[in-house]
Amino acid sequence: MTTHVLRLASWELRRLSRLRWLPALAVLFAAGCLVNAVVGLRSLRALGLTGIGASLDGLVTFGVLLPPLLALVLGAGALASTREHELLSLLATQPVRRSSIVIGTFLAVAAVVAATVGLGFGAALLVLSQATGSADLLRLATVVAATLGTSIAAAAIGVLLGAVASNRLQAVGAAVVVWFGLALGIDLIFAGLAPGLNLGPRGLLAAIVVNPVEQGRILALLATRPEPQALGPFGAYLDDSFGIAGGLGLLGGMLAVWIVAPVTAACVALCRRDV
Amino acid sequence: MPSPDVLLSVNGLSKRYGDAVVLDAVSFELPAGVLAVVTGRNGAGKSTLLRCLAGLASFTGSATILGTSLPGNLDTRGLLGYLPQDVRFPDSVTVAEVVALFEDLRKATVDGTGLPEGFVPDADARVATLSGGQRQRLATAIALLGGPRLLLLDEPAANLDPWAEGALWQTLEDHRRTGAAVLVATPRADEGHGAPDMVLTLHAGSIQTTDERELMAAGGER
Repeated sequence: MTTHVLRLASWELRRLSRLRWLPALAVLFAAGCLVNAVVGLRSLRALGLTGIGASLDGLVTFGVLLPPLLALVLGAGALASTREHELLSLLATQPVRRSSIVIGTFLAVAAVVAATVGLGFGAALLVLSQATGSADLLRLATVVAATLGTSIAAAAIGVLLGAVASNRLQAVGAAVVVWFGLALGIDLIFAGLAPGLNLGPRGLLAAIVVNPVEQGRILALLATRPEPQALGPFGAYLDDSFGIAGGLGLLGGMLAVWIVAPVTAACVALCRRDV
Repeated sequence: MPSPDVLLSVNGLSKRYGDAVVLDAVSFELPAGVLAVVTGRNGAGKSTLLRCLAGLASFTGSATILGTSLPGNLDTRGLLGYLPQDVRFPDSVTVAEVVALFEDLRKATVDGTGLPEGFVPDADARVATLSGGQRQRLATAIALLGGPRLLLLDEPAANLDPWAEGALWQTLEDHRRTGAAVLVATPRADEGHGAPDMVLTLHAGSIQTTDERELMAAGGER
């Protein structure tokens, strides 16, 4: 099974890497990271301060929003277009498990997204390394890890959408809607409902559990800038209840579940449905 | 209980899409070493029948290949070769890359399919540059990989030029002689496949089977 998964992943990776718009998007993300890094450093220097805190704040926001959108769209489109073009029929009639097709697709999308994140943060690191110490580098590494975790979870959700959608357009449309929901919608809903319905700590925890983008954002902020005004109500609740180390562990676990569960669900969905 | 030389046995196979009954208790047997065509009007359920047998669509009833229930496991899938009606490979990949993928998955080579030289398009060509017929030839070569015991081909001659069509039917004929069964879906029973051994006609979800070999033996005309 592993051989088939890796073979299918390399096939999908080759196909994805030849998408014309993908390198442009990766360069755009890298440019955005560079701008964030440079602007953040200059603003601190203008105030006579040192460190890379402002740059990291910008990178956290940028990192947990753009790569997950890319991951969702790529993940959703990959499997859905394979089916739409009947290539999935041809693959599914080979002596290969359908779960291998799903996992291979997921690994390829995850690799592409990881490369994009690596390129973007690598560019930022070139700038930030001039003004940073080893402690700052560790914080930057946490931001990269949080971004990767969030993006890979988004890739898993995208693959699930691709497995259940009836065509590519539906899958990609659903991916964009899910991204809006994760980036804005869930926060707005909980922020609106929490006071009125007196959701309390359970509501705050639920807001974090259901949203991998929020998990990534809080994870990065807990490691870089664990202040209530930066963390927001959900992050502050997590910090208060579990502490920084406990919060980091909990968020890491949640992200792992958000990676494994959608891929498992996609395997089940593709195995049960007509291709 | 199917007779020993039966390769494919289908019993009461039904398929519905919502309220629409596409296949209604279809039953037939396909012995080893036959070339059968399944015909019917557009929408009669020819492609659906092939998809059910290929394990791509769920169905009620039963179907067995060499006594093993379909859709079966990975070993069962190794017995099948399937050609979808309109498969499209990614434009950015080359013929060699497509062939290499399926050769790896099937653990077989295109050279062993018996197709004549030149049937599979140039290995270095990008899929984007292939004509519809060349893509069909590539997909056909993939369906034939590993010498499957049961070949399910959905309109394999669509888009093929006369040379390629002749080469296709000759290869299928050779394949049949090795003891494999070939089931070809086509809207026209008199398509250029020469003499099928059996004709399965789908109409309103039901199937009528004509064994051309028995007709020949009884002195009938094809």
